[in-house]
Formats: sequence, structure tokens, C-alpha cells
Amino acid sequence: MDMSSHPLLASMDEPPPFPSNYPQLRRLDRSVYCQICKEPFQGPVSIACGHSFCSSCIRSSLDVLKKCPSCNEPASEGSIRRNRALEEITDAWEESRPIIYGFAQPPIAKKRPAPDSGSKPTSSSNTKKLKTSSREASGSRSQSPTKFRISNEEQDVDQTEDLQDEGNDDLDDVQELTENDEAPCPICQATLPISSIPMHIEKGCPPPKTRTNGIRKGNQKADWKKVFSGQTSSGKTKEVELKRITKPNYMIATPADLRAILAEYSLPTTGDKEILIKRVQEWIILFNSNLDTSHPSSLSALRARLSDVEASKRRDKEKGKDDMVAQLGNRDGLQKYAKDKKSEFERLKREIMERDKRRKDEEEGKGGRENAIEVE
Amino acid sequence: MSALPKRILKETERLMADSPPGISAAPKDDNLRHFDVTVTGPESSPYEGGIFKLELFLPEEYPMNPPKVRFLTKIYHPNIDKLGRICLDILKDKWSPALQIRTVLLSIQALLGAPNPDDPLANDVAQHWKENQSAAIEQAREWTRQFAQ
Repeated sequence: MDMSSHPLLASMDEPPPFPSNYPQLRRLDRSVYCQICKEPFQGPVSIACGHSFCSSCIRSSLDVLKKCPSCNEPASEGSIRRNRALEEITDAWEESRPIIYGFAQPPIAKKRPAPDSGSKPTSSSNTKKLKTSSREASGSRSQSPTKFRISNEEQDVDQTEDLQDEGNDDLDDVQELTENDEAPCPICQATLPISSIPMHIEKGCPPPKTRTNGIRKGNQKADWKKVFSGQTSSGKTKEVELKRITKPNYMIATPADLRAILAEYSLPTTGDKEILIKRVQEWIILFNSNLDTSHPSSLSALRARLSDVEASKRRDKEKGKDDMVAQLGNRDGLQKYAKDKKSEFERLKREIMERDKRRKDEEEGKGGRENAIEVE
Repeated sequence: MSALPKRILKETERLMADSPPGISAAPKDDNLRHFDVTVTGPESSPYEGGIFKLELFLPEEYPMNPPKVRFLTKIYHPNIDKLGRICLDILKDKWSPALQIRTVLLSIQALLGAPNPDDPLANDVAQHWKENQSAAIEQAREWTRQFAQ
């Protein structure tokens, strides 16, 4: 069947594969592909076993299973390290691929009908091309680290400024700390009352609420303004925000905690806890992996991607419902549905029973139970 | 629908352009996550000569979660039950996002060539297999003739 005729497969702008008589080039081509998304690495990182993936791919994968997708070695997010060399290789290969693809193409040219006149000029022009491209590559290579150095310095400056500020504020308190005094959390550096730090860490360092908000009111207002005025903002606010988000402990985080995280990055805070968790998880993957690349997206682009992901998941779910309806048409499907949804049925049954019990006497309760059983 | 992950599009394209021997897979017209699959029985197995229909569904979380695969054709196999469900490690705990539709289907084909009655899903079939292997294989041949040809 011809793929292009399929109504749902729109334009696929795949680069053509190398001809099969160049297995080396095919291998080279494959080697810059992430094993998870099967695309060239984007923000490549390595994990403890040495395998590399796109940052966002391995982060999503480790959220589900704490193993290396390639070798099944136990792996954790803590072992993720940015792989700058691989990123450079991927970028350089992407850039050179069309050129090398051109070289690999015409076996006809190898026949050389006119040996000297034909081949010489092309080969010299080729080497020229190669030289320029390698120069470009080396240019970008020398560029990106300097960029980072600058941003690192800025970050350092900001941090030291922050530290100094805090130092000045706290100078008097530092001598004798009581439980009611505030101190920076040892993990996320947020200033909190000492007594609440253990719980704060337990919850996975959610951004501090009311108290610190009060202290930094002025700053935050300005931050919000910058967030809303698009992402042209100066380096400084970006630097403040460009810090890896610590995962909250989803088991004990309250919806309010999750909303606070979302609000910090001006994301929608609607929905129940399940939706909030999904959104926070997705955002942390997007945001943290965006820190592992030298071509980071703007925060507004990340937000747009998050909203795309949510929209498509919603569509998929609705799509799934259609399939469900079809599935319910036959007996096997019905059985499977009943089995899959058993826990949900049980939960609904319990809920109905409890509600009824609360509202009225035994009679009502029995009725609810009977109904629920009929449903099942 | 444009939000269908690129990986799924790519895999589909490759699967259809150059599918492994004895395997074909095509997405349904209305849902690119839902595939009609056929697998031919491996040579010198009791399923030889049979063409088995399967359905494959890529869940929302694919490739972080494994695809769901099920035999639609009746088959007498210790690791495949009456409902067509398959007992295969890579469809469960051994799944890895580095695997793909192609590898899953190849593994299923391999499972047809190497039934494993020690890790059964259809207990009665597995029992039969262990107690009287030749009779069980003959039964599998019979079912293949009856349902898969």
C-alpha cells in the first residue's frame, strides 16, 4: 500500500536514507539517533550505564520505568548528565548530512567518461565546500561554549547577589536561630521557617507560599509582568527561572502545592489533582530537558508545547472512547471492558453506598448496592 | 491528529514500506494508533501455512508503555489464551521504549516458533503440551488448518 495515499499520514519530511552500498554512512546516520524517539538527538544526555538519549525522552521514560531503555540497567534521573560532545556531533552531522548525501549519490559519476577534465574541478570544489563547512562547524563550536560561559557567569553573579542580599537581611538573626526563624532550604534554597523545612523537603521542595511571597512582593510583580509581556525578557529574569525544577512528591503534594508550581511558571491551574499532576509532570520534563540543550526553546514555546500535548491527549482519550463503544458491541469486548473497569466499578459502587449510607438508612443503602451490581 | 507523535508516523511508514518477512501491518483509516496485523506461521512449526490476524493498539503513552496486541485468529498455543491475549515478556515488564512495533511483531512470530509451556497463559493447552507434546502439536496443526487458512 502506498503510504502517501493514507488520509492521516500528511507530509512526512524525512531525509532520504543513504544508499545501501554505503553501510558505513547508514551506521553513522543511525548513531546520532535517539533510541526512544528515533530522531536525531535533541539535547542529548547520558545516564549511568553510558547510553545516551534526548533529555526529554529519557526523562519521560524514567518517569515510567527506572531502567535504561537500551540495556535494562537500573537507572535514575539523578544520573542524567548533559552530553555536550554528542550534541555537537549531532549538530555537525545534521549540517553535513546533505553534503555527504550528495557525495554518496551518483555512482554514475564514478564511471568517469572523461577522466581528468570532469572529475578534477568537482573534487576541488568539494574540498572547498568541506573546508568551509568545517570552518563553520568549528566556529559554532567555539561559539557555544563562550555563550555558556557568559550565562554561567551571569548566573553566578546573580546567585552571589542573592546571597549577599540574604546575608544583609539575616545578619542580625544568624547568630541565634530559633524554630520560628527562617533559613534557606538546604536543597532548593527557598527561605522558610526552620520548623517547616523538614515537611517542605518531604514534599519535594514546592515553591514557598504566602510568607516568602509577602517578602518578595515587588520582585514577583515584576517577574509576572515580564512573563506576560512575552519572552523577550532580559537575561536576568531568565537566569532566575532557569533552574531545574525539583519533582514534588506526588503522593503527598496537595492540589494547592501543584497549583503553586504551575502558577510559578504561569501555567493554567485548572483541573483536579490527577490533571494537575499530569501537567506538572509534563512541564517538568519539558522544562528540565530544555536546560540540557544549547538550542533552548523560549518559555512561551514550552508552554505552547505543553498545551499541544494536553490537547492531543484529550483528543486521544475521546478517540479511545469511540473505540470503546465499538468494543462494547461484542461479547469478548464487553467482558474485557468489565474486567478493565472493575476497580472503577468497585469505586463507584463504594461511593454510591457510602453516599447513601450518609444520607439515609439501610433501605436506601441496599437499593444502591443492588443497582451497582446490576450495572456491573 | 497532527499531534500524533512523529515516531509513530515514521514507524508506520517504515513498516509499510519494508515489512519483515511474513509480517504485514497497516493502520486503520480512521485511527493511526490501531493496526491490522497479519503474521504467517513460521516454517517447521505447527502453525506453518497459517495466516494469523492480530490487532495492535498503540496507547497514549506509547512508546513509554508497550503496545497492546491480541490474536484475532483462534490459535492453539500455550502462551496465547482463548481471548487471543499473548504472554510475552516484552509486552509487559520487559518493555523498553527502545523497542518498536517491528520488534514486537517479530517476537510474536518467534513465539509461534518456540512455544513455552513453562510460562503458560492457556493452562489447559500448556498441560496438554507438557503431557503429550506430539498430540498437542497435532492439535495446533489442526486448528491452524481450521481457523488460519
